[in-house]
Amino acid sequence: MSRPTTPGLIAARRLALCGLVAVALLVPTPAPGAPEGQLTWAVHVSVAPTWFDPAETPGILTPFMILYALHDGLVKPMPGNAMAPSLAESWSASRDGLVYEFVLRKGPRFHNGEPVTAEDVKFSFERYRGAAAATFKAKVARVEVVDPQRVRFVLTQPWPDFMTFYATPATGAAWIVPKKYLMAVGDEGFKKAPIGAGPYRFTSFRPGVELVLEAFESYWRTTPSVKTLVFRVIPDESTRLAALARGEVDIAYSITGALAEELTRTPGLSLQPTHFTFTTWLVFTEMWDPKSPWHDRRVRLAVNLAIDRQGINQAAYLGRSKLALSFIPQAMEYFWAPPLYPFDPKRAQQLLAKAGYASGFEAGELFGDTVYGVAIGEPVVNNLQAVGIRLKLRPLERAAFFSQYGEKKLHGVLLSGSGAPGNAATRLEAYAVAGGRYVYGSYPEVDGLFAEQANEINTRVRTQVLTKMQQIIHERAAFAPIIEPAFLNGVGPRVAVHGLGAIANHAYSAPYEDLRVKAK
Amino acid sequence: MKRFIVKRLGFAVISLFLLSLTIFVFVRVTGDPAVLLVEPGASAADLEAIRQQFGLDRPLWVQYGSFLAHLARGDLGQSFYYKTDVFELYLSRLPSSLLLAAVAMTFSLVIGIPTGVVAAVRVNGWWDSAGKVFALLGLSLPSFWVGLLMILFFSVYLGWLPSSGSGTVWHVLMPAFALGWYFAAAHMRLTRSSMLEVLGSEYVKLARLKGLPEALVIAKHALKNALIPVLTLAGINLVLMINVAVVVETVFAWPGIGRLLYEGIAFRDFPVVQAIVLLGGAMIVAVNLVVDVLYAVIDPRIRYER
Repeated sequence: MSRPTTPGLIAARRLALCGLVAVALLVPTPAPGAPEGQLTWAVHVSVAPTWFDPAETPGILTPFMILYALHDGLVKPMPGNAMAPSLAESWSASRDGLVYEFVLRKGPRFHNGEPVTAEDVKFSFERYRGAAAATFKAKVARVEVVDPQRVRFVLTQPWPDFMTFYATPATGAAWIVPKKYLMAVGDEGFKKAPIGAGPYRFTSFRPGVELVLEAFESYWRTTPSVKTLVFRVIPDESTRLAALARGEVDIAYSITGALAEELTRTPGLSLQPTHFTFTTWLVFTEMWDPKSPWHDRRVRLAVNLAIDRQGINQAAYLGRSKLALSFIPQAMEYFWAPPLYPFDPKRAQQLLAKAGYASGFEAGELFGDTVYGVAIGEPVVNNLQAVGIRLKLRPLERAAFFSQYGEKKLHGVLLSGSGAPGNAATRLEAYAVAGGRYVYGSYPEVDGLFAEQANEINTRVRTQVLTKMQQIIHERAAFAPIIEPAFLNGVGPRVAVHGLGAIANHAYSAPYEDLRVKAK
Repeated sequence: MKRFIVKRLGFAVISLFLLSLTIFVFVRVTGDPAVLLVEPGASAADLEAIRQQFGLDRPLWVQYGSFLAHLARGDLGQSFYYKTDVFELYLSRLPSSLLLAAVAMTFSLVIGIPTGVVAAVRVNGWWDSAGKVFALLGLSLPSFWVGLLMILFFSVYLGWLPSSGSGTVWHVLMPAFALGWYFAAAHMRLTRSSMLEVLGSEYVKLARLKGLPEALVIAKHALKNALIPVLTLAGINLVLMINVAVVVETVFAWPGIGRLLYEGIAFRDFPVVQAIVLLGGAMIVAVNLVVDVLYAVIDPRIRYER
């Protein structure tokens, strides 16, 4: 069928074409490379204004969800580099380990246009009052501004973990705030209208409801691709999934169990696990008592062989978690990888028989928190029951569990867990060395080795000592590692680059300047 | 009359004082908020630093004294979690809660009163049985379950309504219904029993004997009087809807006071929980005070009896 081609129609078409061209010319179009579009997250926890201020990071990873957008650090974890130069282009440490010097990058500016200077670095460090403030106060003698591009940290004693504390999410002390602006508006004013040197600037915030950020086109690393980021707080997991399925949000954090399975069955949605330094393990609080069955290494080894780690992983995390090799996460610095305990209930029963418990024994209670204590504790209790170790599950409210655990008030078997950033030394200190907050008893050799490595600045020697400590603990089956739970998230169809898992050991989307939405 | 009002005001102040003491002690029984603000594995020094920052290292009576002194100046304190003025936080959530409560109350009255009237007029009939089932379901089905079912059906399957959040008229419909159903059932039951009582009274019988049409007897003579206890209850329920719609606001991510209370409890944010309970309590005390005074104005015997 041919189309009509009368002269009138041709003229009308030409006119329409001219009109379209004129409209196209008049309608403003974004410059090539300019940020466009919006990405919306369904966030599982309430966004707090304290997360806008790096000085207040309380030693948890969550605030970094926002810090990576609003602020920038001298050195911070980035894709492929756990300590990537950011606002600092380089740094060096003196031979004696007492001085660290950072050279600032030329060009980075805060959102108000002011340049980032060494004064801002000094100011940011000195006003830091987060989780490790006391440690810094004890170990850093002073911060010196050498020139506007150079800053020097002088320590009171060699501290091999200085960079672990300063330049990773263990603290937020290396994240830089503008001194002049902060002095002008004060701490409260800063939380209401934060200014940083990150890829996104603050637009609006309703506490506990929604945070909106807009691309900062002058960001030094690259111009962000997405114009607007919206973080919507949706506390209920089912509602987060519904919002993702309807396209109301693009990324939904923390979708677990049956809902995660539902997510994988929903067309257009994908499940994206992330991993951070979080692991779970059993603690035998009575193992230091010679009268207790737990005192016998064979019993503890039997527990390790009776746990079906892969089964737990599959049931609770769709097989996306890592099987734990130790109470220290595999991604931590100085981690020594012991062999994975196989799932061998028969051998576990043999070991129990050799230890004098052929028909098993009443093992008391397994304490855990109401989240992991149930999701992981329940199958663990069933696994141990199958070989004759009869435990009763006692989930406690999370805070109650950890405070009673820290005060050593719980007795029996504990399902411990930690996501605290740091390295193998910091994890050993809290859980395996005498005086540690969660230590019910310790091996004198381990205590001695810990003291030996504390001021050792030779990395090779320190690695050897920390490895030895981990070997002793493994040989004696002091703990029963279970899994390193994955953080499961849902991603919607509009997202081209979601940034989940791009940075090792970071649970959230990042770096934000690299995120992309699909072209329409 | 003046003495009566002063006496009532005195009772109101005592009630609020006792409420402040109770809530102050009870939130602290729940445990240590510092533990929730750090990652498990944090050092004892970190925890102590947080306790000092919030003044939780001081003796309990010192903390309470300080709380009362600030309260007397109208200062409800700073949120541990949000680090902002609690009253400011409360006010920022109030409009959303007022909107939700108004729509939910409209639902509950529009559904509850007519159903209650019909159930009373057709007592022991089909309508009455249906009304009882409606009330039973409304009072017994957990609102989080109703909410999730609604999200699944109206948002995910039908795609008609947004699953959560606020901003448009469509956002308020599902949470208002999920919240309103429970109260509609309560209002329906009270309307029914109140109507039954009034329909058996002498003046209604007289109206019928005078030959007034049944519709007029019900609407003008019976309902008007039967509604008095219903509206009194509705007043108290409105305060509850504003302050404690915890589950519904959480499921629908509605930015109201109920969700703030949930967050306060979840994070052991003592100042937030204390403020919401105290302000909610103050609203209830105020409503009761006004009702008491109005009763006294209407019926002078009350003044002398009390």
